[in-house]
Amino acid sequence: MKCKTLHNKLIFFLEGDLPEKEANEMKAHLAECESCAAFAEDMQKTLGIIHIEKSPEVNPFFYTRLKVQMENEEEKTRRSVGFPVWEKVLQPAFFSLLLLAGIYTGIKIGQPVTAETSHSIFAETELVPFLNEMETEPIETFLME
Amino acid sequence: MSETEIIHKLKQGNETAFKELVENYRNMVVNTCFGLIHNTEDAEDVAQDVFIEVFRSVENFRADSKLSTWLYRIAVNRSLNFIRDNKKRRWFQSFDDTIEAKKEELNRLSSSDSENPETSLENSQRALILHEAVDSLPENQRVAFTLNKYEDLPYKEISEVMNLSVSSVESLIHRAKKNLQKKLHHCYKKKCI
Repeated sequence: MKCKTLHNKLIFFLEGDLPEKEANEMKAHLAECESCAAFAEDMQKTLGIIHIEKSPEVNPFFYTRLKVQMENEEEKTRRSVGFPVWEKVLQPAFFSLLLLAGIYTGIKIGQPVTAETSHSIFAETELVPFLNEMETEPIETFLME
Repeated sequence: MSETEIIHKLKQGNETAFKELVENYRNMVVNTCFGLIHNTEDAEDVAQDVFIEVFRSVENFRADSKLSTWLYRIAVNRSLNFIRDNKKRRWFQSFDDTIEAKKEELNRLSSSDSENPETSLENSQRALILHEAVDSLPENQRVAFTLNKYEDLPYKEISEVMNLSVSSVESLIHRAKKNLQKKLHHCYKKKCI
């Protein structure tokens, strides 16, 4: 038997699925070939993990936890049954309105800033001549009077 | 209380019958979930969901199949849904989180046997390799293999749980073993342990 043939059938040999004749051939090869024997041992150990993991210890409070979870779920359904319209329609509608109001306010706050900047510059140039009293009445003229 | 009695009383909403059902079948359900999920806490959570579903839908249960077959079916479906949801969640998790989770799992597995730390560490590494190899199998092969190996179910019962013919189950398990062998050989060559 070749090593490759053994590698292809090893799992079935370890599980005891092979016919007797083939199993004996495998045994003979494993007795001769060290590398195949090492691989067989490694695979047997890895597959043996399933037997170690089988039937994990179940939490002794399993039933108590289960009952608590059932009660919580019942409570949740009872609550949602009381306010189905609020949860399914009014709540999303309220939040959508809130979002739209937020966007509208943002736009409104943003708009006057650009409009006033240009207006204020224009107003400044217009008002300066009238407010500058020195131009209309110099200090010398004022003191002479 | 016999199986028929339990079902009859459960349909009437009897709590004692439900408690007996849980006590009788909890190991079986948790073990099946664990075989697919590979985490004790998650397996227990999914097993709880299984019993809640049983309690709620017992009226729809027709005695065509055994109670255990029905429980296996629900446990398998719930576990597969859990794995799918978990995959989606993991997709959004960062790489660091995934590494951290793996480390925690390794620590948990190695701390389970404090008498011989070396063997325990080796076993935990082997467990991770085996879990990864089993998880990489196609869904049908994974379910058939898990039911056969973790629950020692005969092909006939697996075929009833999976709604397949016995020969299909046989072929699924054969392919599952071949694929596992390939993965374990690959890992052996790479010296994973």
